[in-house]
Amino acid sequence: MRPVYVIGAGMTRFGRSEWPLVDLAAAASLAALHHADLGKIPVNAVVVANMGAGRINRQTAIASALVDRLSLWPAAAEAVENGPASGASAVKVGYQAIASGMADVVLVTGVEMMRAVDGLEATDFVASLSHPEAEYIYGVTLPSLAGLFARLFMERYGVERRHLALVAIKNHDNAMKNPYAHIHQPVTMEGILTSPEAVVNNPPVAEPLHMFDCCPVSDGAAALVLASQDIAAKLGAPRVLVAGIGQATDTHAVHERQDPTDLKAVRLASAAAFDRAGLKPSDIDVAELHDAFTILEIAESEAAGFFKVGQAHKAVERGETKLTGKLPINPSGGLKAKGHPVGATGVAQLVELAWQLRGEAGERQIAKAKTAYACNFGGFGNNVVATVLRKEER
Amino acid sequence: MSEKVHAFRCMTCGLVSYPKHAVCPKCRGETFEPTEIAGEGAVLTYTDVYALAVDYETRYLRLAIVELDGGMRVTGQLLDEHPKIGTRVRTVVGVVREPAGKPIYGLQFVPA
Repeated sequence: MRPVYVIGAGMTRFGRSEWPLVDLAAAASLAALHHADLGKIPVNAVVVANMGAGRINRQTAIASALVDRLSLWPAAAEAVENGPASGASAVKVGYQAIASGMADVVLVTGVEMMRAVDGLEATDFVASLSHPEAEYIYGVTLPSLAGLFARLFMERYGVERRHLALVAIKNHDNAMKNPYAHIHQPVTMEGILTSPEAVVNNPPVAEPLHMFDCCPVSDGAAALVLASQDIAAKLGAPRVLVAGIGQATDTHAVHERQDPTDLKAVRLASAAAFDRAGLKPSDIDVAELHDAFTILEIAESEAAGFFKVGQAHKAVERGETKLTGKLPINPSGGLKAKGHPVGATGVAQLVELAWQLRGEAGERQIAKAKTAYACNFGGFGNNVVATVLRKEER
Repeated sequence: MSEKVHAFRCMTCGLVSYPKHAVCPKCRGETFEPTEIAGEGAVLTYTDVYALAVDYETRYLRLAIVELDGGMRVTGQLLDEHPKIGTRVRTVVGVVREPAGKPIYGLQFVPA
């Protein structure tokens, strides 16, 4: 396989989009293309990550629409729908195209316009990824799967609501330093947990999870330009290598897993990504995890191998995952505060990490970051894509 | 819509699994017979969910995963005023959702 490099990264601010779907996708794409500064080098293929345009925006075949908007004909184009893991899946498709020699330059754009519908419809649209007969008919939504998971995980490992609150506080703090984040609002332990007002400020969503344990519903787009070694060298771009990608699946119904607290697909996908990259979890300088719910940041950081099982909440308490800690997690603010436009999320995680490795992450820059890891968690952990990036010295 | 909920017994190795797979996760057998889900078990985990999907008028829903005696697990609605991990419950079948006034039957759990 040929090595594949990230040569451009860009995104829109997450939140509520004033633009229609394809305009939003085009804005992120242009930011990434300008960042890559391709000159006359053609884009051979466009891969769009999106989960719900057909249902919530009543628009299908959006990769063709994006090529048209960007006047990139006759580039190949396709959309990838893989639930909340659509983003990293699309990056994987772009990676494979270059690694195989079928393409030299690929634009990967993730986009989602979830606020085109009301909150109830947005929740139902995401809930439709659950098992139709064994979960969905009971009123299962993603928050409820997270609530079921959280109660069991917390009981087993002694995780308390204050540990979850620490994850939220950290990610909101990080988002304050990220101009692209949906939510710019610092939160405190008093405000969301320990004061009498916290009961009102932070109502339950799916017990034991409360509002500040859950990501917002966002619009947004993010894009990467991937290229072969020859193109990356010709452009003199910083050498951000896609060092390894791993993917694994698990049972559709959460109840069918041997141990429902074990995020097996995260474990297997991460192990595969690290193996391909020739790196260990302890080699990683910065990570973006899929914290659609605070409990997931804790559980994924263990399943990925950064902490022993049952220990991550203690690392959070010691501040090890803050921007200044040993392993900064979610410097972007994570899904929790940066926002979670589902199809865009997996691409946006890698946009943040590419910026970190290039030293372009502004106030939230992790000094001397050379290796990075992302976990894009699809379904409720039944389809996970892990990606390792590494900066090569020239 | 059936008023019974079925698991599937593999005709090759006897494993009972739920929900349905076209291929047995244990022996890769491809023939199954439906077997009614009914009995007692213990609450493995539960949640009160306020972020409801469409079709519900209530303020919240109490959902649970129950481990039935015999080991198979099921997801359903928990009808218990005082939910706790480990509580003994038995399965009943009731209306769990009613899209456009059309009842859907599924598993509910009541204290045993």
